[in-house]
Amino acid sequence: MTAVAYAVLSVAAMLFLIRLVLGPSVPDRVIALDGLLVTVMCGVLVLAADQRSPIGIDTVLVVALLGFIATGVLARYVERRGG
Amino acid sequence: MDLLGGIALVLGSIFILLAGVGAVRFPDVYSRLHTAAKAPTLGVLLVGVGAVASIRTFQATVAVALVVALQFIAGPVGSHMLGRSVYRSLAPPLDGPDQLAERDDRHDVDRHDDDTDGR
Repeated sequence: MTAVAYAVLSVAAMLFLIRLVLGPSVPDRVIALDGLLVTVMCGVLVLAADQRSPIGIDTVLVVALLGFIATGVLARYVERRGG
Repeated sequence: MDLLGGIALVLGSIFILLAGVGAVRFPDVYSRLHTAAKAPTLGVLLVGVGAVASIRTFQATVAVALVVALQFIAGPVGSHMLGRSVYRSLAPPLDGPDQLAERDDRHDVDRHDDDTDGR
């Protein structure tokens, strides 16, 4: 089960990377980075479920906070500077 | 319990995958923001439930509950901030009448000259 979850998350990360490289404007890239952070969070959660130990759960908490702060800062940047 | 946890893990990952597909396939910024805001919220919830069902300790349950609560609050707020910034600075034309243009005084009206549909 965890192997399937890993595979699906890898494909999702690749799709977000495609949007990160292609993305015509800055907000597109911000969306792709946000999605990549969520993918990393879910990957660490799947790792913890795989190992059956709470390793990395605190990392997930930190990454979630960091993703929110990064999105806010980048939104300010987009508004100030434009695309 | 393990089976349920595994199913939740795979379902949550599929929701993240749907967000990725939407980010690649959708045509403009607003619709990409739409999938990027909604699908990962449910995905993180399901993956968290799956992780808790597999680990089954109190510490992990509390931490995962915090993560899911944070995602439920911060995900929509962050997407809203980003969408508002996109609307104010880049202002790609909307599909249909733009009712926000006359209410948002920080909206850049000059870039909406070609947007004459509906009003």
